[in-house]
Amino acid sequence: MSGHVLVGYTATKTGRDAVAFGARLAAATESTLDVAIILPADSRSVITPPDAGYDRHLREQAQKWIAAAIDKIPADVVAHAHVYASESFAEGLVALAAQLGSTVIVVGAADGASRGHHRLGSTTTALLHSSDVPVVLVPGGARKIAPETGVTRLTVAIGTRPGADALIAATERLSRSTGAPVRLLSLLPVDAPATADTAAIRIARSTEAEEVLTAAQAELPAGLDATVVVASGESIEDAVSHLDWQPGEVVLVGSSRLAQPRRLFLGSTAAKMLHEITVPVIVVPRTTRPESTEETPR
Amino acid sequence: MTAPEKPAALPGEQTSGGLSAKGLSAGTIGLIGAVVIGISCIAPAYTFTAAVGPTASVVGAQIPAIVLVGFIPMLLVAFGYRELNNRMPDAGTSFTWATRAFGPWIGWMAGWGLVVATILVLSNLAGVAVDFLFLLISQITGNESIADLASNTFINITVCLLFMLGATWISYRDMQTTQKLQYVLVTFQVIVLVFFAVAAIVQAVSGNGFDYQPFDLSWFNPFAVSSFSAFAAGLSLSIFIFWGWDVTLTMNEETKDPEKTPGRAATLTVITIVSLYLLLAVAMIMFAGVGTGELGLGNEDIQENVFFHLSGPILGPLAFLVSLAVLTSSASSLQSTFVGPARTLLSMGHYGALPPAFAKVSPRFFTPGYATIVSAIVASAFYAVMRVVSENTLWDTILTLGMMICFYYGITAFACVWYFRKQWFDSVRNVFFTFLFPLVGGVILAVLFFTTLIDSMDPAYGSGAEVGGIGIVFILGMVIIVVGIVVMIWQSIKRPAFFKGETLGMDAPASTRRLKEAAR
Repeated sequence: MSGHVLVGYTATKTGRDAVAFGARLAAATESTLDVAIILPADSRSVITPPDAGYDRHLREQAQKWIAAAIDKIPADVVAHAHVYASESFAEGLVALAAQLGSTVIVVGAADGASRGHHRLGSTTTALLHSSDVPVVLVPGGARKIAPETGVTRLTVAIGTRPGADALIAATERLSRSTGAPVRLLSLLPVDAPATADTAAIRIARSTEAEEVLTAAQAELPAGLDATVVVASGESIEDAVSHLDWQPGEVVLVGSSRLAQPRRLFLGSTAAKMLHEITVPVIVVPRTTRPESTEETPR
Repeated sequence: MTAPEKPAALPGEQTSGGLSAKGLSAGTIGLIGAVVIGISCIAPAYTFTAAVGPTASVVGAQIPAIVLVGFIPMLLVAFGYRELNNRMPDAGTSFTWATRAFGPWIGWMAGWGLVVATILVLSNLAGVAVDFLFLLISQITGNESIADLASNTFINITVCLLFMLGATWISYRDMQTTQKLQYVLVTFQVIVLVFFAVAAIVQAVSGNGFDYQPFDLSWFNPFAVSSFSAFAAGLSLSIFIFWGWDVTLTMNEETKDPEKTPGRAATLTVITIVSLYLLLAVAMIMFAGVGTGELGLGNEDIQENVFFHLSGPILGPLAFLVSLAVLTSSASSLQSTFVGPARTLLSMGHYGALPPAFAKVSPRFFTPGYATIVSAIVASAFYAVMRVVSENTLWDTILTLGMMICFYYGITAFACVWYFRKQWFDSVRNVFFTFLFPLVGGVILAVLFFTTLIDSMDPAYGSGAEVGGIGIVFILGMVIIVVGIVVMIWQSIKRPAFFKGETLGMDAPASTRRLKEAAR
């Protein structure tokens, strides 16, 4: 697979995390890396006067920032610099991804994310709302993982509801291009009221989770190496915290965009999982085909 | 690092594969957008309340005349400004252009003048905003004692610093309102001012005025001003009220139609502003007169903030509208004003005229972060010190500000004349726009600068505050210039490269006519 990995870069620590993982993903999938800085467009200024001289200075500065970032990634990854102006970070990245034919958009955590932690900023949230290609959320500290680690395992979080075709398809593509094995994950939180018979619920839900996993495994194309894991705990966070993560692990979760219009692209379960996952997370839209935007989500 | 020059202005396009640069510098600002930015930069509600009192005290009833005449040097210099901006668009504006024309030393001082003038206006803006905040609260709650809190030095300084903090935060993060909201705010400002002026005239004519003066055409006669000193002082103040207008002329590449939009926007903006000022000036004089009575424009106690004192008597229960208009006007002006010193300081840092930290751009918000914070700290410290030293801070800073604007605008005008010296006679257009207009504008500003400087030595000048028998406006002006020279010498020792002309050299574009002849 030779795709385009687009990194939405800012010259900050978390921005470097995003470039580091973007480079690792590009190397593993034999893709080209596009490192982009999205500058604010002039039309955004309604109070401050725009200034061609300052814009030029910004563009030069952005080029320098990207060049410095590209210097730090392995030389065998082909990387291009892009400076793009847009009303907003999210809008610019989505438009640029469409122009470049990018297969994924990679963004870093919000500033202040500590090592191994995800943190969603307002710009990333906006991106999750609007992107029609998968978005990779990179936790803080990803730049400290050696580039040769590669991508060693894909964990796919299957919900307890069916209908994850696009997610399975994306996993399959990524697994084929990286050669990484797949781990199917089903979460089993016990968040029932205290009065309920938790043991009974646990058994019921457990059966349900296993059914979903079996169904998902059955859907997996032949030849795909997949293991299955059910995580249970007091809550989703608790369940996820018991899992083990490899340094080269990547998690895939499905978006809930079409299922819940005008709601966060990232479902509430996935958002809770983010608190505990210490590795990059790919959020996959329900359908990755651009035509899907024509459908009314009602 | 190369000196700015138009042909090489788009390095981004070469290195980013053509595609990426497409989203950049595509003009997006229309006529209305440009006018709105122009009006909110001038902030007529704020400038008029701050400047009309001091102007009345020097020129008496001839405020309308001074407003009209004051526009002339502004216009002439703005033409030069536009020529330079088209030739060398650079964030450092006056600093960069003066350096290219006259070398590093004069360039440095021009940059200093710009930075100091905008820092002065920042502290003044925040001061006016504080007054109106308390006034607004007292008008809404009906508790008059709240408005008096603004004159408590401690409360005043604290709230002012909070304002500055807020403005810095907003500028640092480059937070913009939506276009619609900004349109609404600007329209609101203009409508309230017109309403205020009309109400004042109606009140005056119906005999409710404080000191009714029948309308008199001599108010528009600049020759009726008592002395040249008064005329000069009035002019330097009226330059301040047009300050910011030039941005509409220099928005070129950013507009949808660079051929027509900037000129039209500048014309529309200036017609709006001048009509507004004239209407307000006439209304104020008709209602309150220029005497020193309780509400007279010449009264020292109300001069630094005329709307603050007149809105109640004129509009009664609706007076809060004026407070709201001035507050919103100051708030958006605070933000657009912050951009000026920050970008110039950034450019000075970039070319090595100041420590490199000033050249830092915030990687998240793409603003000159360090320079913005330094400007805010200096403006806050300046306001706090001035407020403690003198009760009439606002008035004296406005006078000093007028002087500093004359200083750096004057240098900029001469820089235009000198920079284009080989192209003066390339065309009839060049004779006017690169030679005559900026030269005359520069000479007027130079005369104004030196006249006000000499006059301000008189302890009675401005608010009458003095130190050792010398007027505080003179002391302020001199301290600013001397500190500038000292800092410049210090920087020239620490960072000689810029002062040797290595980072930003002198230049004069060759005559295009001779080039064509040589080619033949």
